[in-house]
Amino acid sequence: MNSKIQRSLAVVSAAALVFGVAAATNAQAAVKTYTIAYQGPLSGGEASTGIDEQNAVKYAAKLFMKKNPNIKIKIVSVDDQGDPAVASTVAPGTGSNKSILGVVGPAYSGATIASLPYYKAGGLVMISPSATRVSLTDPASPDFGGPVFHRVVGKDDLQGPALAKYATTGVSSAKVFVFDDQSAYAVPLRGFVEAGLKKVAGATVVGGGDSVPNTTTDFAPTIAKIKTSGATVVIYTGYYSQAAIFIKQLRDSGSTAIFAGGDGVFNQEFPKLAGASAEGSRITGVGGLAGISPKLEADFKKQMGVSSGVYSVESYDAANILLEGIKAGNTTRAKMLKWVKAYKGKSVSGNTIKFDANGDISYGLFAGFTTKNGVLVNTGIIK
Amino acid sequence: MFEVLIDQFWSLTIAGIALGFIYVLISLGYTMVYGVLRMINFANSEIFMWGTFGTVITNRDIFHYTQTSEPAKGWKLALVLISALLMSMFVAALTAVFVEFVAYRRLRMKGTNRLATLISAIGISIALAELMRLLTDSRPVGSPRVLEKMILTEVWGANIRLDTVVTIIAAAIIYILLERFIQLSRMGKAIRAVSQNEDSAKLMGVNLNRVITVTFLVGGLATGAAGFFYITVFEYTKFNIGFTMGLAAFTAAVLGGIGNIRGAFLGGLSLGLLEVYASAVLGTQWKAVTVFIVLVLVLLFKPNGLFGEAVQQTRA
Repeated sequence: MNSKIQRSLAVVSAAALVFGVAAATNAQAAVKTYTIAYQGPLSGGEASTGIDEQNAVKYAAKLFMKKNPNIKIKIVSVDDQGDPAVASTVAPGTGSNKSILGVVGPAYSGATIASLPYYKAGGLVMISPSATRVSLTDPASPDFGGPVFHRVVGKDDLQGPALAKYATTGVSSAKVFVFDDQSAYAVPLRGFVEAGLKKVAGATVVGGGDSVPNTTTDFAPTIAKIKTSGATVVIYTGYYSQAAIFIKQLRDSGSTAIFAGGDGVFNQEFPKLAGASAEGSRITGVGGLAGISPKLEADFKKQMGVSSGVYSVESYDAANILLEGIKAGNTTRAKMLKWVKAYKGKSVSGNTIKFDANGDISYGLFAGFTTKNGVLVNTGIIK
Repeated sequence: MFEVLIDQFWSLTIAGIALGFIYVLISLGYTMVYGVLRMINFANSEIFMWGTFGTVITNRDIFHYTQTSEPAKGWKLALVLISALLMSMFVAALTAVFVEFVAYRRLRMKGTNRLATLISAIGISIALAELMRLLTDSRPVGSPRVLEKMILTEVWGANIRLDTVVTIIAAAIIYILLERFIQLSRMGKAIRAVSQNEDSAKLMGVNLNRVITVTFLVGGLATGAAGFFYITVFEYTKFNIGFTMGLAAFTAAVLGGIGNIRGAFLGGLSLGLLEVYASAVLGTQWKAVTVFIVLVLVLLFKPNGLFGEAVQQTRA
């Protein structure tokens, strides 16, 4: 570029910057804008989970801005489709966008692992509402997310036993067939479910289980194994879209075994896709705002125009930690990270949120859900 | 290890045959185009995926079935099923002819090299998948149940279900019709002539462009029918199902001997059975490994596929 043009361009842009900033300050005296991000699947097969979570983040921001009229919160949507491959293409941009002070998310464990290198490099604090894979907070694992990764959800080593217990409730000497979808989420969870089953009186793991690629539509071989094993309970660790295809085929084969699944199946789309076959399924999930306070849920619906969905409590909590941090003046990434690490406060669920050295909270609440007339109904916390 | 296979042998076999027939019909789309053009139609997987939506739209939007409505019965059932089958075949055939027009014809007329055509076919395949992703908001789409999956009878401990019986019989009929069309009709003879020697066929007055369009059309009809059966059995589709099914069907075509219609038939059935047996014996995690090891072994000893050489004359 010609040096003359270059110089005049520099002058013009400097002028624009000065006048632009001046104009902005004049217009809205003390209002300052801060940016946080939400990362999760906002499109793709898992989109409903991400949209639900992001709505809870938006709701938290809305309430916060009402209380603090001089702070404006901007939420950047980072769509990773819940897919590690997509996450590794969107995370670099988020990591290098210095205006983003913290991330609520990523929603899924696989996507979290793919995003971690970029957020560690950028010193960007993350609080996931739903990434439950154990290795994320295990310092001995290559997936370890410290120091930037935190989560406000119980890990899979708590979920596995809860799922084992809930799936076999009321079944005497349960014969349980467990299978996974080969994903980074499902394989370890299956291990924790099988470990949990050992502690359930009378329950045995049968048939050797199976491990089915998440592109499978024909479950005939798995169903053959279930029938041969004589299983009375079938537990699937995987996601809802495959679970819906599977449960239809299981019921069509004439099997009446109890079907149970973890939080990957915990989605209202599951009974919608599977229809009548999904009735009576037992799914572990999180209680949601409605389970905590009907009043809060009513306000959510009024403000957001939709009901709160999956992980709304966790997403709301996670957003609030960052928002309180902004209010307390932690407006750089380094300060925000420090703030989150030292945070001690109350979850909307009444529990105390405080992160341990690896980014975990001390409690894990899993509720049991069963499909009734085409909807997942909360049956209460699994104890 | 083999207890599941022994215990559930007939259930698995029937499921494998039904899956195999779906592969057969999709692999016809690959094999016919290969026979005539000596090129792989990479967009066939997406032609299949679009075909599945033909059935979903017919069931859901034209006949207004929902997830909770009762399955159809009697004449109504026949009407809905046949409309859905025709709709899927129509959508897929239309897509196939469109692919030929956009990705193949002009490049062929210009005499470009084969790589350009290959890439343009891959390009249109990606475009078709992405377009469907946008149209469906990337969500899985469930199809309402139209055909009740009742158990007709039990044979050797296996449940014989209505949907698998319908799939096997109807797919077999469609296969035979197509095969007869290629064998006996004037157009079928022209297709075979082009596949044996393009230049001689042209000299004999065969209209090459028409033959190629009809080949894509017929391949599309078969692939579309596969889409209908897929929905009838699995009641589920998504913008990305084409890849897995397309790859399997392409494997079936190569296994049987690509370019050979009977090869596609035997390749599809062998693959369907091999997949379910391998999954039952070794665990589903070994399915893909087993299938491709078998494919490589077959190609080592029979480079033209199982039936490639023997039935050269029936080549499409």
